[in-house]
Amino acid sequence: MRKADIIVALGLMAVGLLVLGDAIRLGFGWGMSGPEAGFFPFYMSLGIVISTFFIVRRGIKILKKEGMGKPLIAKGGLPQILWVLLPAVGVVLLTELLGLHLATVLYLAFYMGVVGRIHWGKVILLSLLVPFVVYVLFDRIFLIPLPEGVWGKNIMALIPF
Amino acid sequence: MGEKHYGSHTLLIPTELRHGRDGAPHKPKTEHHGLPCGALSAKPEGGTTLDILSNWMMGLSVALQPYNLMIAVVGLTLGIIVGVLPGLGGANGVAILIPITFAMSPTSAVILLACIYWGALYGGGICSILFNIPGEPWAVAVTFDGYPMAKSGRAGKALVLSFLSHGVGAIIGVILLTFFAPIIAEFALRFGPPETAAVMVLTFSAMTRLGGKSALKSLVAIFLGFILAAVGMDIVSGKLRMTFGTVPLMGGFHFIVAVIGLFGLGEIFLTVEEGLKMEGVKAKVTLKDIWDGLRDLLRFRRILIMGSLIGCWLGIQPGGATPASFMAYGFAKSSAADKDQFGKGASSGIIAPEAAGHGAGTAATLPMITLGIPGSPTMAVIMGGLMIMGLQPGPMLFKEHADFVWGFIGSIWVANFLGLILVMAFAPAFAAILRIKFSILMPIIIYVCAIGAFAVNNRMIDIYYMIIFGIVGYLFKKLDYPMAPMVLALVLGNLAESAARQALIMGHGNPLIFFRPPIALPLMLIALFLFFWPTISKWRQRLSAKKGG
Repeated sequence: MRKADIIVALGLMAVGLLVLGDAIRLGFGWGMSGPEAGFFPFYMSLGIVISTFFIVRRGIKILKKEGMGKPLIAKGGLPQILWVLLPAVGVVLLTELLGLHLATVLYLAFYMGVVGRIHWGKVILLSLLVPFVVYVLFDRIFLIPLPEGVWGKNIMALIPF
Repeated sequence: MGEKHYGSHTLLIPTELRHGRDGAPHKPKTEHHGLPCGALSAKPEGGTTLDILSNWMMGLSVALQPYNLMIAVVGLTLGIIVGVLPGLGGANGVAILIPITFAMSPTSAVILLACIYWGALYGGGICSILFNIPGEPWAVAVTFDGYPMAKSGRAGKALVLSFLSHGVGAIIGVILLTFFAPIIAEFALRFGPPETAAVMVLTFSAMTRLGGKSALKSLVAIFLGFILAAVGMDIVSGKLRMTFGTVPLMGGFHFIVAVIGLFGLGEIFLTVEEGLKMEGVKAKVTLKDIWDGLRDLLRFRRILIMGSLIGCWLGIQPGGATPASFMAYGFAKSSAADKDQFGKGASSGIIAPEAAGHGAGTAATLPMITLGIPGSPTMAVIMGGLMIMGLQPGPMLFKEHADFVWGFIGSIWVANFLGLILVMAFAPAFAAILRIKFSILMPIIIYVCAIGAFAVNNRMIDIYYMIIFGIVGYLFKKLDYPMAPMVLALVLGNLAESAARQALIMGHGNPLIFFRPPIALPLMLIALFLFFWPTISKWRQRLSAKKGG
């Protein structure tokens, strides 16, 4: 946990430095019409860099004094998180191809069936019903088009409604 | 900002046109600008009590229109579900539904969004009391006494106590709102950019210190929020900032996406890591429970009123519902005669935090609608939704869109009563949602989050951002970086930046303009005092300890 604290703070500091660089490029002084474009980001990123510097310094001090402390992710937690994160990333990638509705059908079926081990009848019912309700609600009633992906449009055209 | 009032209304037009084409009789367009209220319609200088009362009546009549009532019930039901489910919070629930409101009139839209918040406030308690799992951060303090009481067989009474305290907290909050909002808005009309900047500084310093987290980490969160808000096109100079030559970054980060990622996915990661076990107490609310609850409420009326007032104060200044509930619990415990009862199911241990939480939530509307400074993260999201619709919360809103403002205030009255009835009647039904297996709920929640993130701008990249924000949210939560100030900074980013820049232009580059009397100076001084006082008092303690030792 303490190591992670330092690493995250360093990462934030890197973000701060990156923005600082861009703000200097844009100019943070007094321009033609008041403060220049980089003015605000400059001071914000300066603030981040200074604050994270102190966080890192304090983190190292505590690390030396009291050791590593608890791990960031509780024991046995990481696989659980990955079981959520990876299918979620997977469904986003699938959405690029199939569109959100069809990708969701596969995603729900996969998660409920494989990870959750729920009875397959329920799995099929839910993984078809939920995206269908969303489709009717968004694409038909609220007229908010959801992502169609590369092939999604063609496949959806096969469905008669 | 002034000339941009209806700037983004273009967003609304396509959907309305489409409605027209479909001939869908969704809503009569003139509805809230309608005839019956037109006669009374909001005198701009609504200063006197009589004016406030007539405006209030007008607001109630708007809120009681059948369509708006229906919207309120839908919003409350969704809100309670959001509140009951761990992993879906108020801020997140509102953020997901903002795209749907694009197709509504502003009044109905704000009623829907606000009702989700009220519903989530009511619903948070159900999960805490029956399952010992807080459905919302503001319901953590309720688990201390709510769950023990439920376990000892008085679940119904615990629920009734919680709901009624919510109701009282809401009423006190909304009374404050109704009578002080016009006065504060009138006062805030004199604000210029330096004053706006000072109010923002005050907001963030109050938030930094009330969160109880490390001040340095709060600062980092605030700065990061402001930077994320600044990514993309600079509104003043038209230059591209922090895009590093990439196209996707040109669109910037939308706060809705950030909220969904930080609060939604982040929370889910935390939940699965801990391994959620849902073992709850069954509950039914009987008439006897209601009777018992009412009696206890009267018995502990001092705690009830104090809790609500603590909540309102924290909501206004802005702390949000979560610190308010803890503070009120602490107050109830320290002032109670039977301290040993606390933690075992004391009635006042339920009353105080619930009243404070809802009081804070309702009172958070006051700074949002009068100053444009939201008093809680959820309120920040609601305000962001209003800004998308082209309504800029702040003192001018009272002048230019008085019917909207009073319709909103009226709906807060109506919705909180409706919410009370809804939770009372259907508490067991809502609790039953929690008995659904998590492996069914979880993918559906992620699915809904993805839709919400996508629908903001119809951009695929936002879904990727959402996942990244989810990981950031998880890390932040674990490492104790507060997320509320970050969200606030993201929503207020452009306002704060343009206020700071305009103020500097007014002062010809002299930063002393931020301290100009008579308004900005005291605000800044209070802000600095709030921010540095805890550090100074710590040093003094250390010094005196050294002297003593």
